Amino acid sequence: MTRAEIEREVLGLIAGGVSAPPDDRRFETLALPLLRLQVEQGAAYRKLCAAFGRDPRAVRSWREIPAVPTGAFKEARFAIFPPEATVRTFRSSGTTADLRGALELDDLSLYDASLEETFRTFVVGDAPRRRFLVLAPSSADAPDSSLSYMFSRAVERMGTGDSEFLVGARGWDPERAIETLAAARESVVLAGTAFAFVHLLDQLEARGEKLALPEGTRVMETGGFKGRSRELTRDELHAQIAEKLGVPRTRIVNQYGMCELASQFYESTLRDGVPSDVKQIPPWVRVRIVNPVTQADVPHGERGIILVHDLANVGSVAALLTADVGQLADGGFRVFGRARGAEARGCSLAADALLGAVTRGAR
Amino acid sequence: MRELVELAAAREALDPSRVIRALAETFARWRAPQSHERARLAREHGVYSAPVVERGVRLALAGWTEESLRALRERELSEPCWVPPVTAVWLAGSIPTAALSALALPLLAGSAVYAKPASADPVSPRLFAQSLSETDPAVGAALLAGTDAKALDDADAVVAHGSDSTIATLRARVGAARPFVGYGHKLSVAALGPAIEPLVAARRLALDVGLWDGRGCLSPAWALVVDSPRGRAAELARSLASAFEELEDELPRGSLDPAEASDLVELRARAAVREGTRLEMAAGASTWTVALEASEVRPPPGTFRFLSIVPVPDVESLGAFLAPLGPHLSCVGHAGFGAERGRLAELCAAAGASRLCPLGRMQLPPLDWNHDGQPPLRGLVRWLDVESD
Repeated sequence: MTRAEIEREVLGLIAGGVSAPPDDRRFETLALPLLRLQVEQGAAYRKLCAAFGRDPRAVRSWREIPAVPTGAFKEARFAIFPPEATVRTFRSSGTTADLRGALELDDLSLYDASLEETFRTFVVGDAPRRRFLVLAPSSADAPDSSLSYMFSRAVERMGTGDSEFLVGARGWDPERAIETLAAARESVVLAGTAFAFVHLLDQLEARGEKLALPEGTRVMETGGFKGRSRELTRDELHAQIAEKLGVPRTRIVNQYGMCELASQFYESTLRDGVPSDVKQIPPWVRVRIVNPVTQADVPHGERGIILVHDLANVGSVAALLTADVGQLADGGFRVFGRARGAEARGCSLAADALLGAVTRGAR
Repeated sequence: MRELVELAAAREALDPSRVIRALAETFARWRAPQSHERARLAREHGVYSAPVVERGVRLALAGWTEESLRALRERELSEPCWVPPVTAVWLAGSIPTAALSALALPLLAGSAVYAKPASADPVSPRLFAQSLSETDPAVGAALLAGTDAKALDDADAVVAHGSDSTIATLRARVGAARPFVGYGHKLSVAALGPAIEPLVAARRLALDVGLWDGRGCLSPAWALVVDSPRGRAAELARSLASAFEELEDELPRGSLDPAEASDLVELRARAAVREGTRLEMAAGASTWTVALEASEVRPPPGTFRFLSIVPVPDVESLGAFLAPLGPHLSCVGHAGFGAERGRLAELCAAAGASRLCPLGRMQLPPLDWNHDGQPPLRGLVRWLDVESD
């Protein structure tokens, strides 16, 4: 299959919707040609497979496809097209000042299709447009942020004209943000990064205030904390959002994604009206929980590292090994956050903790 | 806290000689050829393989004798000073010998100890306290392991190990009125000069990495190799791969949890695709990895028996590599510098290192070393300068 043929098929899968039953056979018929394409045209992928003794030609099932650890994107370009064809580059936010991983795209059609289908299903719902208030900068203010791109695209396609980004290129004005939220008279989609929500909650706490956002308001948070605020668990964050913003837990959803992936994962809470911490897997994606060394599945229900196989990642690598700990659950998977091995059980300094600054200085 | 009152009372009954004898006898039991304490630690520790615990503890405790304990106390505390009755010791990490010295030093200074074990190593403090009590119940009564954070507020002094942010938090909590000694996160480096014999150097380097599986602050995070004659670094990388393979039979690496394995896989993947890097790995296993880097790069620091060999043209370039590590640099293990060793020492000191030791001894600091540049006992006490009339 050519790249164009694969893309057409994947677009068809996405158009079938998030709720279409998973079709393993169809997935396989796309995953294997996509692997061949990405190995043939991706020098870094070939190099990685060779170093780990994995022969892509021997792969007979999508489950055998070698996954690339997301950290490798910090060192090499995994795009399968020439650099001059790049129309968009998303960079990882950098959990420290370490090198940042980058995803280059030469075509946004699959990225957009996946983004819109899942965002609409799990956040926006039936209404054609809703008013968005976004606790993140717009894509114009943060052009290399995949999160900002997602929010901007969602606002463009699903937002009303009075939607607003409450964070600018230089940060945000908490007074204005709180005033805007307090002035809302009709339900909104309040979406943003987890650390921005924490800052908002801290501001409200400092002022001794609580908001009661209009009934029907939907909240979506994503992205972790990355040292930008105090850290809360998902449950703590949702509990505080419920308490201080007046939005019930049945209307708060967490999204899991990363810059190296075209597709994102959402909890079904808003779609089903029942709080859930299980991330749903769209039909064009497969998720495995693996031993990161062997990339073999861990026994069902055990914790391991999340491996994502995203057919919408046509232009780089479809199979990605994240650095996050997860667990399969009925209909999806749970995320327990970033693996922090070296720091936890040794006294040596984890790569993530100090050497970022040193590395940056040296380069 | 009632426990601290009891500890202070137990300490009242002790004199320095008795404490020294009890510590020395306990260490002697731990390093004895058939030590059941060491064997039990090896069985119960969980993070490291039993042979690593056996060897690591036996080698590290070799010089922890009554003479060295006495000499250390005399060297550090010969003048009038106030010794805190009870010291709270907050432990971190998983390395048993680090825990043993952290518990022993305040006792040697004359303080009782309330120790909070690290989550990754609850075993070492418990077993040490138990064997100290067996050696001398009165001295053993001055050491208690517990988890009550109130000890941070009630103890007369605090010694804390942990991340830099943990140390900052604890320092703020303890305040200025009580002695506080903090040991933040550190890393170490191996430095190999032009006069090395690659096979010997590789074996010593493998031991420095293999003891405690590259997890410790004294584990080399990189090996900097003066690439003279050209190709020396590549030769060392090959020798190191062989040495790691041999070491795996003798001192197998401990198991990794998923998060740790994820860290290691990322290190390996990054090295595999990094421009100019050549990778040697254990066949079909993750037990060891050697990455031969192109010169002038600063790869991520290694851990879990992953080590990057970084070629540098000369000793001055080595100093330039070390310089940005600043206050986080702990130990430099050296070999093969001959007449340039003095210059290496100057560069290490300028970069902030607090220890320069022969390769193969990085994991074996003497009990009296100035850990992170801090004197072993003096930081804990308050001094009184008595001037003559």
